[in-house]
Amino acid sequence: MPTADHGLDVSGLAGRAGSFNLGPIDLGVAAGRVLALLGPSGAGKTMLLETIAGLRPQRSGKIRLAGADLTGVPAERRRIGLVFQDAALFPHLSVKENVRFGPRARRDASGADTDSLLCQLGLSQLASLSPRWLSGGERQRVALARALAIKPGLLLLDEPLSALDQPTREEMRMLLQELLAELDIPAVHVTHDRDEALSIGDDLAVIAGGQLRQTGSVSQVAAEPIDQDVARLLGWSELGNGIAAHGTVRTGQLLLPGTAPAEMHGPVHIFYRPEDVLLGMPARDSPAGTSLTAHIERILLTRPLARISPASDPPVTALLLHRDVERLHVQAGRSIEATLPPGSTRIFPAT
Amino acid sequence: MWLLGGLLLAFIVLPIVRLATTSSVTSLRHAADTAAIRDATLLSLQAAAITAGIATLLGVPLAYLLARGTFRGRGLVQAVVDLPLVVPHTVAGIALLFLFGRTGWVGSPATHLGVSFYGSQWGIVTAMLFVSAPFAVNSARVAFEAIDPRLERAARSLGATPWHAFRRITVPLGLRGVLTGAVLVYARSISEFGAVVILAYYPATAPVEIYNLFLQSGLTQSASAAVMLLIVTLATFLVFRTLAAGRLLARVDRAYR
Repeated sequence: MPTADHGLDVSGLAGRAGSFNLGPIDLGVAAGRVLALLGPSGAGKTMLLETIAGLRPQRSGKIRLAGADLTGVPAERRRIGLVFQDAALFPHLSVKENVRFGPRARRDASGADTDSLLCQLGLSQLASLSPRWLSGGERQRVALARALAIKPGLLLLDEPLSALDQPTREEMRMLLQELLAELDIPAVHVTHDRDEALSIGDDLAVIAGGQLRQTGSVSQVAAEPIDQDVARLLGWSELGNGIAAHGTVRTGQLLLPGTAPAEMHGPVHIFYRPEDVLLGMPARDSPAGTSLTAHIERILLTRPLARISPASDPPVTALLLHRDVERLHVQAGRSIEATLPPGSTRIFPAT
Repeated sequence: MWLLGGLLLAFIVLPIVRLATTSSVTSLRHAADTAAIRDATLLSLQAAAITAGIATLLGVPLAYLLARGTFRGRGLVQAVVDLPLVVPHTVAGIALLFLFGRTGWVGSPATHLGVSFYGSQWGIVTAMLFVSAPFAVNSARVAFEAIDPRLERAARSLGATPWHAFRRITVPLGLRGVLTGAVLVYARSISEFGAVVILAYYPATAPVEIYNLFLQSGLTQSASAAVMLLIVTLATFLVFRTLAAGRLLARVDRAYR
């Protein structure tokens, strides 16, 4: 990933907490870009952020921000804005005092800035309130204002949306996207939610077990997960086992040409994206063998997409818009054709 | 439940009520006019207040280290803090006498510098501090442990030095525990007899003076002094508690307006 002059550049960063080892980790975020850091619980996401922020000791490696080496610089002098999952507002200070805490601690006389920040984030009316009286979304906006008040050179967001309910989360996500687009600083947004990572990030880094598994642009990582763990995290489903030979993978009724690397032979594990599965007539450019016909065994009318499961070998599930369920006359017991179009599968060597 | 609990409550309240009813206003006034009793009471109040101050000043940093630290030997440090709670107070007095007496490790050089612990107010404070210090440390430690450590991390990331974060975030949020600890130290110190009487029999604190009166003049004479001490102790205790709570309430009120 490219890192401009004002970007974050982490190389060989390693840390340890008890028996948990983090890294070594290399990543870069250019100014004005958002890196979504996606990983399951316990993957080391928060630890990585806190190490970058200087709140945890690093064992080795370098952290450079805007060209300056931050290794050994105490947390209070790094000028890194940090937003925690449940806001972590100071309960004994008012909203305004929370936002002013940073400038005051740094003896920055930029009082006007905190006022305009409060205004920008729609917090002016709440300025004199205690955090106790705020809703979850309001608390996160205060936390964001507090972090931005120090004019940070880097913004680290540790699951800032995960404690919010669905409508508030959407609202906050849009606000975050607008704000991050305006700021010309690098940002790292940590989440365990795939949709959040895909919608908020320009780039995507997947972390598991303290190691970065894959980094790249969001579209590239989402389309080409490097291993089974990354595929699962990005919403790919397991189709089952198959046999690869000369680039083609055979499994049950399916023959998937051009899906496996030419050098891959023998047993493989197949992943697919249920939302890519076509039901009804196969597309004209679909290669032969990528379709199968079977009776519909189960229809789950989940929202927003319905799950259609034919009794097929291998067991393919398709995700369908509800209006298409009616349009295609999808009914249990009916025979239907399911197609896995090119690019909807990923093949990994069986372990 | 209420029957058993009521028994314990009665056990606590009845002796005090009985003691209070032994004294008339005249006998109380007489006790208050007696210079020895008055001086002893004032000395107790003063020494207990000084002890509460010292215990808080030295106890709060230790409480913070115990609440936040992951250092080796943390359990041992906590055990040392709790040690005075299990040492009989006369034993504590003798141990302190060995250390702070005229020929003790600390007492001997201190005497050369003109400070005597044996039979002085410093001796009284030393004895009070030993037996009551655990209350200051433990009360503040519990309060600090209840504070989300991420608040301090947030403060650090915003530009606060560790000391600034401690002063502006941790201390205000743990203030209730710190003040409660100080009040407990004060209360424990004022009632201390065993350790004080060995390290500093003279000048006599109120409990020592009452014991002297009891030995010399009997139950009735000592009762008036005892009631006076009880009234003064309870009154100051209530004042300090109210002050502590009042400061808190003021803070809470300001924060939640």
